[in-house]
Amino acid sequence: MVQVRLFGMLKTLVAGVSMLEIPLPDGAQVKDLVDVLHAQYPDLGELLVQKKVVVSVNQDIAHWDTALVESDEIALLPPFAGGA
Amino acid sequence: MAVETEASMLVRVQQENFSLDQELERVRARSTRIGGIALFLGTARDHSKGHDVSSMTFEHYEGMAQKKLKEIRERALQDFDIIEALVLHRYGPIEIGENIVLIIVGAEHRADAFKACQWCIDELKKITPIWKMEYTPQGDVWVEEHP
Repeated sequence: MVQVRLFGMLKTLVAGVSMLEIPLPDGAQVKDLVDVLHAQYPDLGELLVQKKVVVSVNQDIAHWDTALVESDEIALLPPFAGGA
Repeated sequence: MAVETEASMLVRVQQENFSLDQELERVRARSTRIGGIALFLGTARDHSKGHDVSSMTFEHYEGMAQKKLKEIRERALQDFDIIEALVLHRYGPIEIGENIVLIIVGAEHRADAFKACQWCIDELKKITPIWKMEYTPQGDVWVEEHP
């Protein structure tokens, strides 16, 4: 089981929650997480597949083959909009 | 009042407003070699992409946002001929006309200060996990992209 934080507009795609708990097998990678999310939340999954939303693991941008463990801090990051 | 000079004060993500005079002094006090200071201040405007905006809220990824601003300051110090750089961004609710973001760069000469200041704000927009929700007459809108 991994916990996935959601920011910005992504919360509107998953009924307003800011954290998802996703069951994943041992040895899972980011791409496996994306597959599960795509199945459960197609709109969110599509943004991930199109790389409009990126995945961070322990506050670094992750690749699709990045391995995940339960204690990882995982977040889904929509396009940034800081500044003015 | 003594100006705090720790590096942590030069990179901040904070809810409260900031004082331009105080932040300018913080950079100026870092070195008497500074001969030019460039500043970018981003403020909340009441119009965006053809619609009125009544106020806004910034959300940030606590920890990662600070890490990215620190990285921007360190890369600016390394890649440009400058003496000091300060990078601040606010989060939470912000009213029209209020301060949002501040970059201050001190260098020996103006050209380096201008160049580094522009690079810092451009890079901030690219790599810092901060998001903006605008409140408009048509509803609340998460801003997706910035020029």
